[in-house]
Amino acid sequence: MSSLRVTGLSVRHRKTLALDSVDLALGTGVHGLLGPNGAGKTSLIRVLATVARPSGGRVEILGQDSADRRGRSAIRRRLGYLPQEFGYYPGFTVREFVAYVAWLKEVPAAGVPAAVERAVARVGLADRIDARIRTLSGGMVRRVGIAQAIVNDPGVLLLDEPTAGLDPEQRVEFRELLRELGARATVVVSTHLVEDVAAACTEVALLDAGRIAYRGTPEALTALGTASDGPGDHPIERGYTAALRAHRGPGAGAREAVR
Amino acid sequence: MTDGNARIWHASADLVARYADGSLPEPDAWSLEKHLESCAGCAGRVSRAVRGTAAGEALTQVREAVLARAPEPLPVRRAGAPGALSRPARLLWAAGPAVRGAWLPAVLVVAAAAMALGHGGGFPGARALLLAVAPVVPVAGVALSYGPHADPLHEITAATPAGGLRLVLIRTAAVLAVSLPLLTLTGLLLPASGAPAAAAWLLPGLALTLGTLALASFVGCRAAAGITAGGWLGTVLLPVSAAPVGEATARLADRLAGCLDGAATQGAWAAAAVLSAVLLAARRPAYDRPARR
Repeated sequence: MSSLRVTGLSVRHRKTLALDSVDLALGTGVHGLLGPNGAGKTSLIRVLATVARPSGGRVEILGQDSADRRGRSAIRRRLGYLPQEFGYYPGFTVREFVAYVAWLKEVPAAGVPAAVERAVARVGLADRIDARIRTLSGGMVRRVGIAQAIVNDPGVLLLDEPTAGLDPEQRVEFRELLRELGARATVVVSTHLVEDVAAACTEVALLDAGRIAYRGTPEALTALGTASDGPGDHPIERGYTAALRAHRGPGAGAREAVR
Repeated sequence: MTDGNARIWHASADLVARYADGSLPEPDAWSLEKHLESCAGCAGRVSRAVRGTAAGEALTQVREAVLARAPEPLPVRRAGAPGALSRPARLLWAAGPAVRGAWLPAVLVVAAAAMALGHGGGFPGARALLLAVAPVVPVAGVALSYGPHADPLHEITAATPAGGLRLVLIRTAAVLAVSLPLLTLTGLLLPASGAPAAAAWLLPGLALTLGTLALASFVGCRAAAGITAGGWLGTVLLPVSAAPVGEATARLADRLAGCLDGAATQGAWAAAAVLSAVLLAARRPAYDRPARR
């Protein structure tokens, strides 16, 4: 049973097609969304987050149609979203900020204080819960962003580049949290750090130029890399480039930049 | 078994016993289960009977096993934690971001400048000038507190169920709660010198604010505020700017009198406010629809 189903999804930005009739069905687990810059990762996440309207296609989340007004409200209550550009009120404390988002997500008022403390503890900021956000480091602010996304115990959690700004130790902790969240929720993580995917994801979707180029497990992608002689320092990186090349077809290799 | 078509019937002791031990024929069991969905009394009796059977024992074991595995709920800190606020306090806090940033100081500057002009500078047109600017102040407050251009949190609020019209209205209410009393009081403290009454701007201010919100459902907050504020300032100030310097004050007072004075004018502003509110209510879905981007 898929908690998230996308059919024929297209997103157009002026004249360019950011997503080109994408079909995707995701269930419980951590799904890594990989792809070069401009492949459409953020466009896809913003549509799934009910923030951007697709130009065509259908999005069903947790059994509700996101084009329908009531359905959208129901989805939004069960949704967690960390945008790529995470905006916040610098004067708010961590506790105030996360509680504010809980209020916006219509978490029942009686449960808010406990939910806020739990979410902040899960991202490892319990000792800074009453600090103003402007006094926190970049990595801590990112973790506040993750805390606000999980405060309502979302059924679908959308994270756009969540590991940007985290140091290696924090990234290891974050992957642990991802695995934990993925046990019960459908987690979609967009990233360009292939190691994050290898370590924390149960499934990978590779986007290229608005289309799904590859879908499989991180193990399968690694195996693809082991079998190929493409560029990359790590088997899964080689798998990434090999999958991209296979999707783009023969002769396209010259266009492709090695990241 | 009693007639399943009868409006009111209850499960007999024999029926309950046969259901519990599984000897009841399937159609009768279905019929009983259907009845149990709406009859708490029979449901209780059946449930007690089933609990005594092997199935009941298995269920009890499963329940205990699940409860033993479930993590202990975290202790809830009640006193003093924000979020455990009373409803009005929560609303105030929710509105907080509306009156943050440059807008609140700007309102205070407008009020202080009018006072300085009127009393310190002895400028007779201070109240007229204040009345000309005042209706634009709440409009600016709305534009600065909501939407992708003004609210750093907008990308997140747009993905929440309460981030649409409800949030705009709360923030607008906060903006009005600050600007209406403050600017009206300032006007009262200034010499009239031919300008309309200090409270004459309230209905136009409200109408322009609601008009901005209604318009914003089509073109976004920033553009809507530009249109309404620009429209008002253009109507009031443009004819005056052509006047010779000495007559400007008197011309402004005249112009304001035309826009504000009289029962008919105020009635028209009230009607405009009501119309805008109706349009806003009708356009409500536009506020929680995903953006076309």
